[in-house]
Amino acid sequence: MLGTYYYHEIIRKTIISFGTLFNDIHIRHQDDAGKDVSDLKVPLAYGPSQKFLARITQQADLNKAIQITMPRMSFEMTNISYDSTRKSSLVQTFKTCEDGTKAKKVFMPVPYNIGFELNIMSKLNDDSLQILEQILPYFQPHFNLTVDLIDSIGEKRDIPIILESVGFQDDYEGNFDTRRSLIYTLQFTAKTYLFGPVADSSDGLIRKVQVDMYTSTDQKTAKREMRYTVTPTSNIDRNDDGVINEADHKLLQPGDNFGFDEDWEFFSDSKKYSPTRQTDI
Amino acid sequence: MALNPFFLQGTASEQRLVQDLINEHLSFHGVEVTYIPRKYVNTKTVIEEVQTSKFDDNFSIEAYVNTFEGYGGAGDILTKFGVSVRDELIITLSKERFEDFIAPFMAGQDDGTDDSIMPTPTRPREGDLVYFPLGQRLFEVKFVEHEDPFFQLGKNYVYQLKCELFEYEDEVIDTTIETIDTQVQDEGYITTLQLIGVGKTATATALITGSTPSGYIRTIHLDNDGSGFTSVPTIGFSSSPTGQIGDNATAIGFLTTRGSVTSIEKILMTNAGAGYTTPPSITITGGGGVGAAATASIETSGQGVIRFSITDGGVGYGTAPTVTIAGPPASGIAHTAVGIASIGLDGSNSVIKSIYVIDPGRGYSNAPTVTIADPETLAGLGTYLFNEIVMGSRSMIQARVKEYDQDTHVLKISNVSIGSTQPIGFYPGETVIGQTSGAEYPVFSYVQDDTYDKYTENDEFETLGDNLLDFTETNPFGTF
Repeated sequence: MLGTYYYHEIIRKTIISFGTLFNDIHIRHQDDAGKDVSDLKVPLAYGPSQKFLARITQQADLNKAIQITMPRMSFEMTNISYDSTRKSSLVQTFKTCEDGTKAKKVFMPVPYNIGFELNIMSKLNDDSLQILEQILPYFQPHFNLTVDLIDSIGEKRDIPIILESVGFQDDYEGNFDTRRSLIYTLQFTAKTYLFGPVADSSDGLIRKVQVDMYTSTDQKTAKREMRYTVTPTSNIDRNDDGVINEADHKLLQPGDNFGFDEDWEFFSDSKKYSPTRQTDI
Repeated sequence: MALNPFFLQGTASEQRLVQDLINEHLSFHGVEVTYIPRKYVNTKTVIEEVQTSKFDDNFSIEAYVNTFEGYGGAGDILTKFGVSVRDELIITLSKERFEDFIAPFMAGQDDGTDDSIMPTPTRPREGDLVYFPLGQRLFEVKFVEHEDPFFQLGKNYVYQLKCELFEYEDEVIDTTIETIDTQVQDEGYITTLQLIGVGKTATATALITGSTPSGYIRTIHLDNDGSGFTSVPTIGFSSSPTGQIGDNATAIGFLTTRGSVTSIEKILMTNAGAGYTTPPSITITGGGGVGAAATASIETSGQGVIRFSITDGGVGYGTAPTVTIAGPPASGIAHTAVGIASIGLDGSNSVIKSIYVIDPGRGYSNAPTVTIADPETLAGLGTYLFNEIVMGSRSMIQARVKEYDQDTHVLKISNVSIGSTQPIGFYPGETVIGQTSGAEYPVFSYVQDDTYDKYTENDEFETLGDNLLDFTETNPFGTF
């Protein structure tokens, strides 16, 4: 049953979305007179990495004159858990379209919570406090991100990022052989969704709606007597031929701004529409 | 019971002998390190931290390396904050040598007028730096042990400095010893100023006729600026009746955002067209927005500037220069054309990319002369020095030079003093003046992204996030 290959990179996209929140935080330092003398953007990176790559990129020439530069922020994914409170029917599907041409059938996404840990390391408590005060007020206790989880179906979902807790470690006591370590740790939960495979739907895009009306509910003998038809119409010259006509209507895409053409027809020919032959018989 | 008075615990002469022997031993077997005292620029009370420091002095002294088999500490480790080098070093200094040859000079600098000097200079201090030349590393003194060995002949003769590699932030390290100062040249938060080298004035010509002398667009009226645009829409015009491609009008839309709404700010012509007998229809397509509409009015008698041709884009424009177009011969319908220049990069040179037609004017019989203003500075001068302070001539922002590339005119800077009164950064076009070298070059652009840090992904997150996130309002945490 399992085995259909698909990979939407949703977890990676959630990681990127989370990282984007904290990638432009600055701190400032002043001189004794209170004048700003330095403005620093706090470097941010996803913590886990391949060891050899870290060594080669960060210590390419082996020697390093200093221990590390400060302050820094790092985050990592800590857990993934199913969120039963957001559960929806497993067999429920919805339809969407790709490139305005093909219909897609998508099963309802599965709600998962992804835990994140954001660490802030600085050598000054004042630096950490500057960073914290630029983060905490936005989480009450959540902050919503609207993420385009699957580009092919244009499915944008609101993902609340919930600030669960703030802790810190300040090892300032003890002998002088160890340096003070100052790390703030913020725990977050991202309420994201995981999608299953996206299948092509046999259904086409709806470009015309037709409703036949009857004067009797007897399905065998009653004939349609009135027909209401709706088709989308373009309100601009899409093929740039100087006129707005049927050719422009056919170029309409699902995301376009368009109007409708309504048509009422009355019949007394005792015929009935055949959906399979797509004509009146 | 009192001590036996016939046995001494160390006389002054014996103590001096031991001190001399230690001094001599250190000069034989030691390493000449550089002691760099820390100056406190700003100290935060209550939370008791030195927020801003500088290291702008140096003292050479011989030191014995206690950890002669290698550095102590945890070595190179991978942490969640990147590679951290946890090397430690223990060195021994002569107490007499330090007190005679370093402490008096440090004390002499503290004349009471500079609050940035620590007022206890008689011994090595925790927080100061030691440059270890063999490893070319900067160590920070964590602890000064003054009683090991313990009172030999009744006196202590050495200081043991327990050091750990320096954690760098934005401290100024300007000891005047290049080998030391350049150790942090590529470290910390480094931003980039793209400067303009030699400037050159751009030139352009105007064209007043297409295949037919008149029938050009005079003005474009933006009837509805639309909303919801995410990219610049395409502006289309119905074709000219002449059938000549060059007679078709062309234009470019410019967007503006206020609050959360992005709409069209203006439509500027790149070609006013020719041969139109009725106003062309304008279509605004793409860009993700809706509702925008524009109409045009045409001029069917007389001639105006329908487009500009740039013959030389010039060099060194930090801001778009003024474009002056000669007026038409005086007559009842005469009206001078108006153009506006836009600048961009051609390689590393900032040049005039195009001139848009704001108003084609009326009543021209010959192509008018087009004059483009000079760039801000026709020739920058000098070379910025490493570690010197530079200042923007208009923004008054100060920064410290990390590196200057004379060929590409890229100036890497740190410690940028952007304050709450000046949140924008350096202005394009303003001159950046070296406070020591006197070098002066105008700014083309200021990039606040640090592309030199080896372990930062701020830019990657921003680029990747742009394709994923939908901030229908704005990113409250700031955008690049």
